[in-house]
Amino acid sequence: MTKYVVGAGEKLELTFVVLPGESRDIDVAIDLVGEGAEVSLKGLYLCGGDERVNFRILMHHRAPGCVSRQLFNGIAAGSSRVTFDGRIIVAPDAQKTEAYQENHNIVLTDSAHVETMPQLEIYADDVKCSHGATVGRLDEESLFYMRTRGVPEKDAKVLQMLSFLSPVTPEGDRDRVEKAVLQLV
Amino acid sequence: MDNSDNIIQEFTSGEYKEGFVTDVEQEFVPKGLNEDIIRTISRLKEEPEWLLEFRLDAFRKWQKMEMPRWAHLDLPEIDFQDIIYYAAPKKDKDRPKEIDPKLAETFEKLGIPLKERDVLAGVVAVDAVFDSVSVTTTFRKTLAEKGIIFCSFSEAVKEHPDLVRKYLATVVPSGDNYFAALNSAVFSDGSFCYIPKGVRCPMDLSSYFRINARGTGQFERTLIVADEGSYVSYMEGCTAPMRDEQQLHAAVVEIIVEKDADVKYSTVQNWYPGDAEGKGGILNLVTKRGICKGDGAHLSWTQVETGSAITWKYPSTILKGNNTASEFYSVAVTNNYQQADTGTKMVHIGRNTKSRIVSKGISAGRSQNSYRGLVRMNAGAQNARNYSQCDSLLIGSKCGAHTFPVIRSDNPTAIVEHEATTSKISEDQLFYCNQRGIGPEEAVGLIVNGYAREVLSRLPMEFAVEAQKLLQVSLEGSVG
Repeated sequence: MTKYVVGAGEKLELTFVVLPGESRDIDVAIDLVGEGAEVSLKGLYLCGGDERVNFRILMHHRAPGCVSRQLFNGIAAGSSRVTFDGRIIVAPDAQKTEAYQENHNIVLTDSAHVETMPQLEIYADDVKCSHGATVGRLDEESLFYMRTRGVPEKDAKVLQMLSFLSPVTPEGDRDRVEKAVLQLV
Repeated sequence: MDNSDNIIQEFTSGEYKEGFVTDVEQEFVPKGLNEDIIRTISRLKEEPEWLLEFRLDAFRKWQKMEMPRWAHLDLPEIDFQDIIYYAAPKKDKDRPKEIDPKLAETFEKLGIPLKERDVLAGVVAVDAVFDSVSVTTTFRKTLAEKGIIFCSFSEAVKEHPDLVRKYLATVVPSGDNYFAALNSAVFSDGSFCYIPKGVRCPMDLSSYFRINARGTGQFERTLIVADEGSYVSYMEGCTAPMRDEQQLHAAVVEIIVEKDADVKYSTVQNWYPGDAEGKGGILNLVTKRGICKGDGAHLSWTQVETGSAITWKYPSTILKGNNTASEFYSVAVTNNYQQADTGTKMVHIGRNTKSRIVSKGISAGRSQNSYRGLVRMNAGAQNARNYSQCDSLLIGSKCGAHTFPVIRSDNPTAIVEHEATTSKISEDQLFYCNQRGIGPEEAVGLIVNGYAREVLSRLPMEFAVEAQKLLQVSLEGSVG
């Protein structure tokens, strides 16, 4: 487990990129201990074989007035297994907390398996917290739309996956991610 | 904010109106739990041999099990030997066919009509359960004309043993979990309901559960079977007297929905929640599960949970048939030292199955309120769809609101969406209302009712009225 402590007025930004062929356990605990601390987590994962990718994220708001944002988007194909266990805890005195967490998954194959557990544990009242999780497939209608306009099916799928991953793709990794997506299709 | 603090005080100390005790002569079995007690219960209820075997088998399973600790609850140690497992009002021998007037009065006071008469606009058939026995079931004749069976579980065992035997424990097996096993061993009474093929039940069916005796537990068992193409709306309500001791309520509800049948199950749970210091109250540890067995079956759960010191309850649906659908609508309110860990499970097995979860938690005082849910898409659940929405409203800085959903997908064509938010009633909203001449208490009532409206509007008429009043009492004036 990697532990980060974020103090008053400090900012932490982390991005995780897991590309096909990598099995990873990412276990992170973040403590927001000073007023006004800000944390932003992003995660991208692409699995095409028999990878095992496990995320465990603990976001602990211990001080008032902190903000945390999390966004994890990934695609599971092949016979990969992905789990996402994300917990936000807001301590009793951590008023004025803003904490958001999202995890979106696309499953491409029958034998891929996705399990997501976003959790909120909130002990303060003056907070804005939300989490969201989705597991689904590529959108048929967008694919159809693109195909009616002459985009080949394969390209349409790649485009849709790239746009799905775009908010979590670091600027410097665009090429690598594109290559990986092409591999998956 | 002093003013609003006072209002919180006022409201959170709202009285529990159903807290009285009825003074009737009752017979009990001795305290404690062992095979002899189970045999005694079975004998008192004149049960057939197979049912006694079922109980004993469940008891043996239970002895090997451990109390579940995974919930976000501070469960007290329960001394299972210190509970009376069977308590029944003695029947007056001179009037064996009549209901004891005191009992009738009790249910009258609770607003439960035991005489067959119209209630509001609709008509409701009631099965009233007092501690361990059913005291009466109304409208049985009218229902029987349509072939509908609606009676107490004990009567069903005597009069329709084949049906009971065919369906009992098919959805919740006796060894399913700790409290289901306990219930299977010692269950006393409950309701049984069978809707034959193609019949649309002409009135709402309702069970009313009342705990009265001190030191007892209530272990009711409800079995609802909706045969092909039938429809029924079923409601359940519960109350108990105010006491310092905690009382155990461990029920099992099983619902079987055959092909194209439609069942609507509504609960307004208002067990005694304990006093403002968290003393006493009911431990509500309940297993409720339905199965959409045939294609096109539909099961809808609606619950309003305002009572109980501790609630541990996850009404679930197994979507086995193709094109089946299920919904879960819940409002859970906790106040003072109440704890609730409640939610649902939707297990998608068949193709094109759909489920929808709407859960609204409201916590006030020093209470803890959790939503816990599972949405599972099995490999064969082609094109299955789920949408879940879980919102929490916090009132006061000492309470907690938690969300623990689990989403599992083994099918690439299935789509699951979950979202949850947690917030308090904003000062802007209150200010807006105040500005327009709506007092703080009324404003909170307005906001909370609006917040819970999506669920309340699903309740049958009689319940909706009761539920809205309950919300007012349990939690109004919750200014943050």
